Amino acid sequence: MPFLLDRRDVLRGAAALLADVVLPRRTRAAAEATETRAIVVTFGGGVRWEDTFAPEGWPNIPYLVNDLVPQGLFFPEARYDGLTGHFNATGALVTGCLQNVDAYGSEAPTTPTVFECFRKERRLPPEAAWVVASNKSFGLLGGSKLRDWGDPCAANVILPKHFLVQAIRSAVATPAGPGVEDRDALAARMVSALDEGYEGFGWKVHETGREIGKEVRATLAQSLLDYFNDPLVPTSGDELTFFMTKEIMSRLAPPLLLVNFWDIDVAHFGAYSLYLEAIRRTDRLVQGLWQHAQSLPSYRDRTTLFVIPEMGRDGDPSGNGFQNHRSGDESCRRLWLLAVGAGVPHGLVSPRPIRTLDVAPTVARVLGFKMPEGQGRPLSELAF
Amino acid sequence: MSAAPAPDAASLLRQHRESLARMPVTMRAFIGMEAEKWPTFFPPEKAYLSALLESLASPAAAPVLAGVARLETESGCRDVKESDPHRLQDATQSLLRRQGLLPRWRHEIDQVFQALQPGIDQALYPADAPRRVVVLLYGQGIAIQRDKLWARFRSIGRRVPLRLENASASEPFLRALFASGAPGTLFPSFGLDPAEAWIVEAGETLHALGTAAAAPATGLSHARLRTYREALARSLYKKVLEGVSGPQELAAYVRELDLAPPEGALLRSDPVMRAFVRDVLLGGNGALLVNNTFVEWSSVQALKRAQPRLLVARFGVRDKMKPFSSLLLFSSPRPTDQVPIVEDPFGSFVDVEQLSYYVWLNAEKSAAYRDKTLYLLLAEGVDEMLALRPHRPDTAGHPPAAAGDLPAATLPEVSSTIAGWLGAAPGPLAAPPIAALAG
Repeated sequence: MPFLLDRRDVLRGAAALLADVVLPRRTRAAAEATETRAIVVTFGGGVRWEDTFAPEGWPNIPYLVNDLVPQGLFFPEARYDGLTGHFNATGALVTGCLQNVDAYGSEAPTTPTVFECFRKERRLPPEAAWVVASNKSFGLLGGSKLRDWGDPCAANVILPKHFLVQAIRSAVATPAGPGVEDRDALAARMVSALDEGYEGFGWKVHETGREIGKEVRATLAQSLLDYFNDPLVPTSGDELTFFMTKEIMSRLAPPLLLVNFWDIDVAHFGAYSLYLEAIRRTDRLVQGLWQHAQSLPSYRDRTTLFVIPEMGRDGDPSGNGFQNHRSGDESCRRLWLLAVGAGVPHGLVSPRPIRTLDVAPTVARVLGFKMPEGQGRPLSELAF
Repeated sequence: MSAAPAPDAASLLRQHRESLARMPVTMRAFIGMEAEKWPTFFPPEKAYLSALLESLASPAAAPVLAGVARLETESGCRDVKESDPHRLQDATQSLLRRQGLLPRWRHEIDQVFQALQPGIDQALYPADAPRRVVVLLYGQGIAIQRDKLWARFRSIGRRVPLRLENASASEPFLRALFASGAPGTLFPSFGLDPAEAWIVEAGETLHALGTAAAAPATGLSHARLRTYREALARSLYKKVLEGVSGPQELAAYVRELDLAPPEGALLRSDPVMRAFVRDVLLGGNGALLVNNTFVEWSSVQALKRAQPRLLVARFGVRDKMKPFSSLLLFSSPRPTDQVPIVEDPFGSFVDVEQLSYYVWLNAEKSAAYRDKTLYLLLAEGVDEMLALRPHRPDTAGHPPAAAGDLPAATLPEVSSTIAGWLGAAPGPLAAPPIAALAG
């Protein structure tokens, strides 16, 4: 298998370039800042009720149905009433207010995010709040565009696929990099492969104004190296996001984390089997993430996990069904929410209708900070 | 109401000048933009625009339009002075958006079309309008699971056992079904103009059966369009790498692209078809890349826009998507490192079950097809077929439950059934149609 060595060489070089050779010490400040932890996972990309928690969807989400739901509190009647695009829908989740900004992520949310409120009130370092996103248009999701908010107190945002593209570009751009016969061809292929955009051709990455700290960046680049030396190579953007999230949790232990899975949006390609496969993968990764949290002392027994799709997808009668999320029909809006962990009753189903807007104020209550009055309300079923 | 299309857009607009002047400005912008597309319209689209204008000009339309008119006054849209329909639309939409009135405006427009559509449908598609046939065909190689085959249709269709008689493989199967006349002819006995008979397929086997005849049908083949698709994809990707802010900018770029399918890629190639193919490839997210998505989306668009009397949508086996990590193999690019294309016959079955359902759903939304269409679902090499005739509700208005199986039939008998449904006279040597379906 000679190519394996070549592949490792490339990635080792790429990661080394980013890592700046020396690994940083673990950052503990964020971990020590607060006892409780909150992880919000978007079962993202747009998923329909009928393909998940409707009885016919159960085979697609065995880990959620059999493992996580019995451990937690399940809301089968969650709803999202805003614009049915990924950025605005996820923006509503992290702000508690409906957003109406550029659908492709060129504008930050217009109201404060949970990350800003958390860091500002507690005076926490950047490593305390993270967004790890498969969707590469989420660069500006970590903070709002409001004066006195935004970058100084926003979350660290990492787009793992984009991060990898940068690593590869760096690796092939220098003669000191790894031994590659055709650097241009490699770069073009890697960028093309990682630059996937399920809604047509990949849009621009909008960089946040705040750079991730050099040491943290180096740590994560080393993670990439470790990852690619693992025989279980990545098979999708969400696998990479899963890996990077675990690394961030293990190394930095942030108390507030948003993980955006997005493979499900492969549905735009029109292949129903790939969409279902992505749902099954997301189900597996969510469970893996929770298991990882339970394996870490800094998270075990003190973490509340929220799992929620940011929006649904079109119902079959509305056109091309699962392929899109543009009709705004009931199928685009009918969602669900699962909460597991600290402060969450076990094995309960609440029939009370809730909204995705309730996630942000609930996270604020869990972590004990204030958010400005928004459109959402904390979920009273959780013990704060 | 006259449904006869005007000879051109300009004369149509002249004919309705007065009613256009009275019309809500947002409707006027829409009509103006539609009229600009006239050169790329299929005849049914021209007929529809004419019928819509007739309907909007009628006295009965005034109360229907009152809600939109009120909203336009309230928002200031009526004060916009602009003759260019694109600029008029931009300006009015911007006004509505700024004032948060877009949802209300959409609702009002919905109301207008809900009120006018039945009359338009009645004018364009009366009860005695021509019958139509849609054939949904699963190509050889798809991993058919017999117990799940056509699962969404079982309760509304009639199962017909088929005697394949040595026609299990793709080519003999298709030949027996569609090309049993003179060599090189397709649909020999259906009596249709090539513009009325459409083939949309993932591969090109069906296309190949008809090449000897001059344009026997209108055909789209994902396989035959490969070089064109690649050229489009390259152009788009190059533009994306240069930097593009979003779909609007990309769409504007696409409109300027001077690319056309190569000679022979389309069975019939004229400006309308070339525009159609381009719209299909760039308008359906996965159509450029995924063969079965192309088949579904092209079929849906054909049903909506060209309204063929016969549509054969033939799905195939989709390639597996290459995981992005596989590209890491190119760290030292050598031919032996190439990741081979691997087919996904099992995933393809799941896909086509869903996609064929969408083709049917979309056809049934159209008055051109509803209550007039025979749907046949077949899978190459499979000795059964499912047939869906128009719903004939019982006295309580419920669709009839599917009765049991029909007697076994041969593929030439299925072919005769299609011909019979379309009203074509049977040839002297034609097999008999399946009586329970052809009537």
